[in-house]
Amino acid sequence: MKSAWPLFLAWKQLFPSQKKVSFFSLLAIVGVALGVNVMIVVVAFMQGFQQKFRSDIIDAQGHARAVPLKKQVDWKKDTKKISLQPEVEKVSPYIQGHLLLQNRDYHAVPFSMGIDPSQSDGVLPLNQFLQKGFIPIQGYESRDVTPVPTTDLLDDDVVFITQQVANRLGVRSATALLFDDQNDSSEKGRVLVEQLDPYVESDEWKIEFIDEDKYNIRNQQGSIDINCTFNQPLEDLGWGYPKFKLVEGNKPFSKGDQFKFQIFRSSTIEIYSPSMIEKAKSDEMSPPREVRVGGIFQVPWQGFHTDALIGTDRFMEDMRGEENACDGFFIKFQTDYLHDENKLGELCARLEGELEGDWSIIPWFIENAWFFDLLKFEEYLMVLIMIPIGLVAAFAIAIALMTTVLRKIREIGLLIAMGGTRFSVGMIFCMQGFIIGSLGAFIGCGMALTFIRYRDSLMSFIVTRIAGEDGQAGVTQFYDFYSLEVSYPWESEQSMITFLTFIFFAIGVSTLAGLLPAWRASRMNPAEALRSE
Amino acid sequence: MSEQTKKENVVLHAKSLSKSYSIVDAPDLKVLNQVNITLHESSSLSIRGDSGCGKSTLLNLLARLEPADEGTIFWGEKRIAAASKPLAVEASWRAKHVGVVYQSYYLIPELNVLENVLMSVRLSGLSIAEYEPRAKELLDQMGVESKSKQIPSKLSGGERQRVAIARALVNRPKVILADEPTGNLDERTGAEIMKLLLNASAKEKTSLILVTHNPSFARATDETSILKDGKLIYE
Ligand SMILES: Nc1ncnc2c1ncn2[C@@H]1O[C@H](COP(=O)(O)OP(=O)(O)OP(=O)(O)O)[C@@H](O)[C@H]1O
Ligand SMILES: [Mg+2]
Repeated sequence: MKSAWPLFLAWKQLFPSQKKVSFFSLLAIVGVALGVNVMIVVVAFMQGFQQKFRSDIIDAQGHARAVPLKKQVDWKKDTKKISLQPEVEKVSPYIQGHLLLQNRDYHAVPFSMGIDPSQSDGVLPLNQFLQKGFIPIQGYESRDVTPVPTTDLLDDDVVFITQQVANRLGVRSATALLFDDQNDSSEKGRVLVEQLDPYVESDEWKIEFIDEDKYNIRNQQGSIDINCTFNQPLEDLGWGYPKFKLVEGNKPFSKGDQFKFQIFRSSTIEIYSPSMIEKAKSDEMSPPREVRVGGIFQVPWQGFHTDALIGTDRFMEDMRGEENACDGFFIKFQTDYLHDENKLGELCARLEGELEGDWSIIPWFIENAWFFDLLKFEEYLMVLIMIPIGLVAAFAIAIALMTTVLRKIREIGLLIAMGGTRFSVGMIFCMQGFIIGSLGAFIGCGMALTFIRYRDSLMSFIVTRIAGEDGQAGVTQFYDFYSLEVSYPWESEQSMITFLTFIFFAIGVSTLAGLLPAWRASRMNPAEALRSE
Repeated sequence: MSEQTKKENVVLHAKSLSKSYSIVDAPDLKVLNQVNITLHESSSLSIRGDSGCGKSTLLNLLARLEPADEGTIFWGEKRIAAASKPLAVEASWRAKHVGVVYQSYYLIPELNVLENVLMSVRLSGLSIAEYEPRAKELLDQMGVESKSKQIPSKLSGGERQRVAIARALVNRPKVILADEPTGNLDERTGAEIMKLLLNASAKEKTSLILVTHNPSFARATDETSILKDGKLIYE
C-alpha cells in the first residue's frame, strides 16, 4: 500500500478524476502507440518478405544443390545414392550453360538449363512457374482462351523461356482466341480449348451445332471436318491439333450455335551453342537447332536469372555435343528441414561425406547468402532509423514530464510535508513514463495486429494510390504482399520476439524518459518548494 | 504537574533552535536564534509575529523539512539533531503523526475532494478502506461532505481550506502545524474556519501550532507566543 501511492498519483495525473484523460497523456500515449505500431509492422513485413523469398528460393532451387568437384563423376550412381537417403524427397539432375537464341534479327543469350521433365517437378514447380508467366493477349472482339502450358508439352524440340526472353525475341507460345459470339448466352454451355501443344498450326476452327446434341468441328484448312455428338465426342486428334472440350450449360445448345477460334502457332527460334562455334573453327558448319516455344514461365524468386531457358536434358546434351552430361543436381528434403538452417547445413555436410567428397552440396541459404545479408542489412537499417525516432519521442515525453514537475513544484513540496519520501515523489514521474509506455505499447500492438490482419486491403489501397490499378501488378511482382506470410505473435516465435522487443523498448524508453523529471523532483527542497509562487 | 509527567505529555519540543540564511546583502541573516518551544498533548499554541520574522521557517524546522543550524528536536520520545539532514524515516513519522495546513490550500488538482483527504492515508501506508468512513465523517464535520466527489478547482477558498483541514486530521496525527490557515480568506470565513480547526483538534485530542497574524484567533488557543528578533516569547 505504502509503495502504491506514487503509482496512484501518477495514474491520476494522467487520468484525473472527473476528466478521464489529460490532453498530455493522450498525446503521449498515441505517440508511443504509433511508434510501436510502425516499428512492429515494418519489421513484421520485412520478416514476411524474408519468409516469402525463402520459400520462393526453395521452390526455384530446392533446398540444396550438388556440384561435382571432379571432371568425371558417376552422377547416375551418386544421384541414386542421394535419393535413397531417408531425408531426401527428390533429386533432380541438371545441365546448364548459355545458348544464343535467334528469331529474325533479335537475339538473346539466356541462362539455359536442361532437366529431366519426368523428374523435375518434384524439385522445381515448373508448372506453377508456367502459370505465373502466362499473360493473355488483349483481343479485340475476341478473348484469349489459351490454356496454361504444362511440363507435359516439353520434348527435345521444345523449350520454355522466361517472359523477358520472349519479349526480347518477340516470340509467343501457341495461342487461341475465341471470337465474341453475339448469340453467346452464358446459360448455354461453352467450348474450352483444353490443350494447345507446341506443334499446332495457325488455323481457324469452328464448332457449329446441328441440333442440341450434334455438332460439327472443322478447320479452315479443310483437313478436319467431323460431326460428333455429346455421347460420342471428338476423339483426341493428337499432337499438332488443339484439344477442345465441350461443357454443357443450364440451357441446351440449339441449331446454329457456333464457336469460332483463331489458333496461332507457337514461334520457332534458332539456337546456337558454344559447341557449334568450336565445330565451326574446324570447318564443320552445322545448322542452328530449331525449337518451338512451348511456354513462357516466370520464377518468382528475383535472384533467379531473368533471362532463362529450360529444355530437356537431352536437348542440352545435344547442344553441348556431349553425352551423359550432368552439371549438378538439385535436392529437395523432407519439409522438417525447411526451417532449421543448422540441421540443413549438417545434413548437407553428411551427404557430402556419403559421396566421398566427389561433390560439394550447397544449401540454399549459403548459395543465396548475399541476398539474405542484404535483407538483414535492410532490416537493421530500418531499426537503426527507427531507434532515433523512438528516442525523439522519449525526449518529447521527458520534456513534457519535466514541465509537469515544474508546474507542480508546490504539490511536490506538500507531498513531502505530508510525509512522502523524496524517492516516492520521484517515482510519480517515473511511473507516469511507465504507464505511458505500457499503454502506448499495448495500443500499438493492437494497431499492429489490426494492420497485419487487414494488410492486403490496406496495402492494395496504398499501392493503387501510388501506382494505379494497372501499376499494382508491377509492384506486386517485386513485393508480392498478397502471398506474404506475416505471422501473428502466437503463431511464430520470431514474431513473438519482434512484438516483445518493441513492447519492452517502448516501456523502457518511456520509463527512462520519466527518470530525469523524477530525479529533478526528488532533489527539490520541500521548504523552498512550498514557498515558490 | 511533576516534571516527569509533564515530559510524558510533551508531543513536540525543541531546544535552542537556530537558523540563519545567507542572502546577497545580508550574508548571515539570523532568522531564529536559540528558540525553545514546547507543545503538550491536546494543547494549542499560537505564534504571532511580523511578516518575515521566521514563523514559517520555525514550522519547517519542527516538521523537519529543512535542517536547522543547531538545536535539538523531540518528537515525543524521539530525539533528533536539528542540524542533521532529514531522513526518510522522519518522513514516515511525519506522515503518521504530523498534519499540515497552509495558507494556500495545496490540494492536488487531479484528485477529487475525498481522494485528496485520503492522500494522507495513502502516504502513511494506512488502509484506505478502514479510513474512508472517517474521511467522510471529517468532511461532514467540516461541512463539505456534499462536495466529496468534486475536484478542488470547483471549490471556493473556504471550502478548500475545510478539505485541507480534514486531510490534516484524517490520520489522527499528534500535531497539526497550521501556517496562516486563514490568510487567504475574508474575516468571516476565516473565523468560521478557525473555529472548525480549533474545535476539531480539541475533539480529536490533537495538538496544534497555529501561526497567525490575527490577534483574536491567536487568543483562542491555550497558549500564545510572539516571535521577535529570532526569539519566541510566551505571553
Ligand atoms: N531559502 C531561503 N533563503 C534565504 N532566505 C530565506 C529563505 N527562506 C526564508 N528566508 C528568509 O527568512 C525570513 C523568514 O521567512 P519566513 O517565511 O519564515 O517568515 P514568516 O514569518 O513566515 O513571514 P510571513 O508572515 O510573511 O509568512 C525571511 O526574511 C525570508 O526572506
Ligand atoms: Mg510565513
